[in-house]
Amino acid sequence: MGFIAGSAGLPEENRKLEQQIDECKRIDMPIEEVLRRRVAGAFIVAGLLIISVGFLSWRCARQASDDADLVAHTYAVMDMIELTTKHVIEVETSARTFALTGQDAVLAQYGAARGGVAQSEDELRRFTADNPRQQRRLDVLEPQIRAALEFAESMVAKRRQRQASPGPSEILDTERLMNAVRATGQEMRADEMQLLSQRRPRTNARRRLTSLMIALGTFAGAGLLALAKFAVNREIDVSARGREELKVLNAGLEQRVEQRTNALQSEITERKQAKQALAIQAEELFRSRQALETQTVMLQSVLDSMAEGLAAADEQGKFLIWNRAAERIMGFGPADLTAQEWSGYYRTYLPDGSTPFPTKELPLVRAIHGEVSTAEIFVRNPAVIGGVWIEASGSPLKNKDGVVSGGVVAFRDITQRKADEREIRKLNDELEHRVVERTAQLEAANKELEAFSYSVSHDLRAPLRHIGGFSKMLVEEFGSTLDPTAQHYLDRIQSGTQKMGLLVDELLSLARVGRHVLNVQATNLNSIVTELIAILQPESEGRQVEWVIADLPTVDCDPVLVKQVFQNLLANAIKFTGFRTAAVIEVSHKEDHGQSVFMVRDNGIGFNMKYADKLFGVFQRLHREEDFEGTGIGLATVQRIVHKHGGRVWAEGEPDKGAAFYFTLGVGQQVELKSTGAAAGVQS
Amino acid sequence: MNAEDLDILLVEHDQDDTDLALHALRREKLANNIVVVRDGEEALDFLFCRGGFAKRSFEHPPKLVLLDLKLPKVDGMEVLKQIKSDPRTKTIPVVVMTCSKEERDLVAGYHLGANSYIQKPVDFEQFREMVKTVGLYWLVINQPAPVKGVAKVAGQGSR
Repeated sequence: MGFIAGSAGLPEENRKLEQQIDECKRIDMPIEEVLRRRVAGAFIVAGLLIISVGFLSWRCARQASDDADLVAHTYAVMDMIELTTKHVIEVETSARTFALTGQDAVLAQYGAARGGVAQSEDELRRFTADNPRQQRRLDVLEPQIRAALEFAESMVAKRRQRQASPGPSEILDTERLMNAVRATGQEMRADEMQLLSQRRPRTNARRRLTSLMIALGTFAGAGLLALAKFAVNREIDVSARGREELKVLNAGLEQRVEQRTNALQSEITERKQAKQALAIQAEELFRSRQALETQTVMLQSVLDSMAEGLAAADEQGKFLIWNRAAERIMGFGPADLTAQEWSGYYRTYLPDGSTPFPTKELPLVRAIHGEVSTAEIFVRNPAVIGGVWIEASGSPLKNKDGVVSGGVVAFRDITQRKADEREIRKLNDELEHRVVERTAQLEAANKELEAFSYSVSHDLRAPLRHIGGFSKMLVEEFGSTLDPTAQHYLDRIQSGTQKMGLLVDELLSLARVGRHVLNVQATNLNSIVTELIAILQPESEGRQVEWVIADLPTVDCDPVLVKQVFQNLLANAIKFTGFRTAAVIEVSHKEDHGQSVFMVRDNGIGFNMKYADKLFGVFQRLHREEDFEGTGIGLATVQRIVHKHGGRVWAEGEPDKGAAFYFTLGVGQQVELKSTGAAAGVQS
Repeated sequence: MNAEDLDILLVEHDQDDTDLALHALRREKLANNIVVVRDGEEALDFLFCRGGFAKRSFEHPPKLVLLDLKLPKVDGMEVLKQIKSDPRTKTIPVVVMTCSKEERDLVAGYHLGANSYIQKPVDFEQFREMVKTVGLYWLVINQPAPVKGVAKVAGQGSR
């Protein structure tokens, strides 16, 4: 149990941990990404800025340099013009000087100057190659120079030849020629000066722009650096924070990892233990499985050897057990059907044999629903063509928790029993019918008897009275004229009539007891007995009779009838003790098996016990009438009354010793029925 | 026999019983005037002064009716009922003679107002004793109820 709970807890821990790692990753990722992106972006922007500033600076510098070159060029051109002009002047001057002086030293100067003119002239042409206007002016200058040079040459040459000094005209020519050269040179310089004046401000502007650009670039670079520093710092902060968080998380993670490791370790330990336990269990399982197999085989053979059909099904109605007897009785094996289809499949019917048995009332179906039930079912299907009566008892199957998990039904073939029952019922019906018939006959007979009794009481009494009356009148009125024999006959007629009257009255009394409806009430028997002794007093007139009367209980009975019982018994006692000089009559009672038994005993003539069964019969007498008068109805009446109360009466006696009469009084309807049967038994 | 001095109306269909009863009554000399009728209808005709007795008068009722229950035509119970339910006759004492205790119980059960019930004993001596006792009581000891109005005075006066 503990093991199962531990292994269930660990995955839970794992899951939490992984969730948290995911969360860390989710938090970390944007930090790096943003950092990377921002840095990349900043560098791209900074690079572009620096490149463009560099490029612009480079261009400006380049342009400024170009401009400076142009200015220098202009200056060079102007220098060349100056030089050329100077050389020309030197040539002129030296030529004139030579012409005036004739000194050779001056000639050297002249030659040098002349060479200088040629050189500077060439350079001038080369320098101004890019400027067509100046070229054109050069075209003008060059002839002027050549003219000047030629004039100088001519002066030199003339000196050398005549050794004469140049006249004033020549000097004036020279001056003219020289002026022309100077003028052209002046034009060219002016042109260059103009160019210069144009180029210088542009160059200055370019230079300023360049400076500006450089300054701007520097500032931008510085700004970017600052920005970069700021950004980097920030990112560093962020990442530092991230690292801090990460550290915390890592710490937490480590803790968890540790916990997890511990948990895993304990789990591993538990698993090891569990594995061991499992091995033991497996061993036990194996053994119990073997035992189970043995049991199952045994159970199966037990089930199959049963005479009763046994079937069990789970709550879905799938049969778990269906023994051989079940198949034999039902004709079919276990159906792979839902419970609702069982009745239709096995063809089960209600006891009327034709109404299909309601499936939900089948004992097995009720058992699955948790009810215990028993039913008689008629089964008739192609496998049991004649039909089978079964008595099925279903009870629920419960699992160890007491929950109903199916049902089991046991059933047996009661076809024979049903046949017997039918036979018995038929016989019973016949018997019943005969009982009814017999009862009707008996009732009719009883009615006849009653009618007879009435007839006896009413119709027989009258003629008796007439016989008695007229014979009496005969004696009274004609007795003196009759001879003694005739008188004797008349006496015999009289006594016969009286006796018959008595018989009729007593028979009537017996009949009345039979028709009497019991009026049960608490009755004091002592007072009845006391009253009766007084009434019977005349019967024992002149005799010595000792009455021994015990304390009698108050009992539930019909007082009128019970009085009749005591009266008859006491009268008998007096009668049958008639020959005793000292008669003892005893009335007592005792408790026997919870029943009151009453007794009337005398020390009279008694009777032989072998005639005891005749005592209570109508007209049965054990003594000759000459000895003891009586009709033989008194004890029959006693018995009828006692039986009517559900009681019992019997007698014990011994000749010449005495007799004892015992009786009990049960009271009620059922005892009355019993008494009727008993009375019938006695009478038959 | 003077109808006006009628002592007993004996309602009895059995000739033997009638003879015995008359013999006993006469022997005791209790009744001089005894009328015997043989069935219920005749008894009612007599008591209600009709039919063959139309000349009779209510002013001279019998001092006692001895009524047997088992009668032809109209039975004793019906006779008793009519006597006791009519104001002109209900004061006449009626002694019902029964043959059995059952009959006696039956009459008592109907509350028909019989003045006495007696069971005819089988023994003649007892029968005679009974007739004597009844006659003595109802004809000698018992004071009859006064007959109503002028009739009573006239009746008494004529006696």
